[in-house]
Amino acid sequence: MAANESASLSGTRNLGGLLRGLRNKEQGVKYNNLLGYAFIAPAMLLYLVFNIWPIIRGFLMAFTDYRFVYPDTRWDFNGVDNFVKLASDEKVHKSIWIALKYTAMVLPITILAALIIAVLISRVRSGASFYRWVVYLPSILPVAVSFLMFREMYGLKFGLISNILRGLGVENPPNWLGDVAYALPSIAVAHLWIIFGFPTLLFLIGIYNIGSEMYEAASLDGANGFQQLRWITIPLLKPTFALILVLQIGIIGVTDPMLLLTAGGPENSTLTVGLDIYQIAFVKGDLRLGYAAAISLVIGVFSALISAGVFRWSRD
Amino acid sequence: MATTQMLEAPAQTPQTQVRATQRNSWLSRSNWLAHSALALVTFIVLLPILWMLATAFKDGQEFYTNSASLFPRNPSLVNFQYMFSAIQELPIYMRNSFILAIGVSVVQVFSAALAGYAFARINFRGRDLIFIAIIVSMFIPRSGGLMALYELMSFLKLRNSLFGLILLFASSLPVPIFIMRQAFLAVPKEIEESAFIDGASWFQVFARISVPLVASAMVVIATLAFVGVWSDYLVTYTMVDRDTQLTISVGIQKVLTSSYESATAIVPQLRGQFAHEAADAAMLLFSAAPVILIYALLQRWFMRGLTDGAIKF
Repeated sequence: MAANESASLSGTRNLGGLLRGLRNKEQGVKYNNLLGYAFIAPAMLLYLVFNIWPIIRGFLMAFTDYRFVYPDTRWDFNGVDNFVKLASDEKVHKSIWIALKYTAMVLPITILAALIIAVLISRVRSGASFYRWVVYLPSILPVAVSFLMFREMYGLKFGLISNILRGLGVENPPNWLGDVAYALPSIAVAHLWIIFGFPTLLFLIGIYNIGSEMYEAASLDGANGFQQLRWITIPLLKPTFALILVLQIGIIGVTDPMLLLTAGGPENSTLTVGLDIYQIAFVKGDLRLGYAAAISLVIGVFSALISAGVFRWSRD
Repeated sequence: MATTQMLEAPAQTPQTQVRATQRNSWLSRSNWLAHSALALVTFIVLLPILWMLATAFKDGQEFYTNSASLFPRNPSLVNFQYMFSAIQELPIYMRNSFILAIGVSVVQVFSAALAGYAFARINFRGRDLIFIAIIVSMFIPRSGGLMALYELMSFLKLRNSLFGLILLFASSLPVPIFIMRQAFLAVPKEIEESAFIDGASWFQVFARISVPLVASAMVVIATLAFVGVWSDYLVTYTMVDRDTQLTISVGIQKVLTSSYESATAIVPQLRGQFAHEAADAAMLLFSAAPVILIYALLQRWFMRGLTDGAIKF
């Protein structure tokens, strides 16, 4: 087991070990090249064609004026024209702003809720596996089903939420998805419900890994539950925070709920940059894949920078 | 290797139990508080699903008069009757989803098992470098990936093809390869070596000795693949616009937004007996049923896959 462990990729420490092993490989190992390549061939073929090539092509496409309906424009490189155009495209600026607003609504609450629920689950002495099951349930439902389910919940006349509000004495509950002021937050609530499960499980694993000795020492020193949370749990969960942020940062490009529920309306109040890109590439006019890829690249670089920053912060 | 137990609370040593009794009063109070708070969380999580479930069994009259209740007074199957008789695309979408999800599971298990075995056991030039490259490449943002995939799939004439979608989804292999490599590394080398001494070939050792020992890792991969593919919306929606090739997770939106007038024309006897919203609820439940079932039955494998995939990096 120990030998296996050192050869495995668990954790960056072992990644370093693997890299070192790469440099000073023992001499006289019998190579079995043909067999090895044959075994990895199917996986590599799939991965290279459908995963690596799109990364390269997506990057190159951002510097072309590729319009799908004109196949000849496929390799029409136009330098940084797309980015110049983007710099003055106010519609896209607005949709980026909406996406940032959406991210600011969903992400902090998701992380906070996940942390609280993980701490709670770590405190119960029985039933934890049931709670873990419940918490992750929304994440396995098809996204379309979840969002359409929330559309029924938000229904004006017979939706559950409006009905509860009427029961509480609110006479005219808002038209959640049809009101400029409420549409974006309403989708954000549904999104929160769908995605909070995985961060919760990640926090939970982090808490389990802290181990009980730390808490016992603290409680012998007279630290109460909240002090333990503040001074032990949260600081030691920093890497988990970072992992969650990095995994969830893609929410800036959110597209699915807008395609499913609002198509960007009402009055473009839910037109996120993800939906904008989608429409530019696959719906509108001559399908400007090149320009869409350029906007997508800017968003990607932006999220990569945030991820890198978060990663560095977690290493301090 | 503690992966399997990753989501289990650490066992208490006798020493900690003694100390734990000292703060038992605080603990039991916090235990009780945590349970009540988690009951609330459970309620919030389950509420939309339970409401859908209740709504699916309400007939028109009950839905219009009593739409908020979580327990139908006169459970009725009229919504399901309508769904199965009037929505003719539904069985096609369902079949496509099964073909796609099972196809991806099979391709992923097959190719990840082969590759994972090679990365764990066979010495070949560049082995570790290739493996690290695969893992690292996972973290490159896929900007423009959807546009590039659209071009690629059109070029390969694989748009509107379930076969094309199977290849596309099955290509997300880093996590499956990683899981399989870990599993093969955990198989004791001695078992394989003794088989070699008995004159077995590489492939025989792989297929007869090693693969049966990593069956649970294969179940993990198949489960994750099935549920992930079943639930996809954006990629399928982009690659498929022909009705006969749609999956249920994309088709359901089409069904829900299509006209009830034409659908009820097929079953005139049901006209006026059911509410559109309640029929929607029945269809939403129906399209999520397979993954909910798998999630309920294969919970253990599922949690293992999640922790193996996400944490070990």
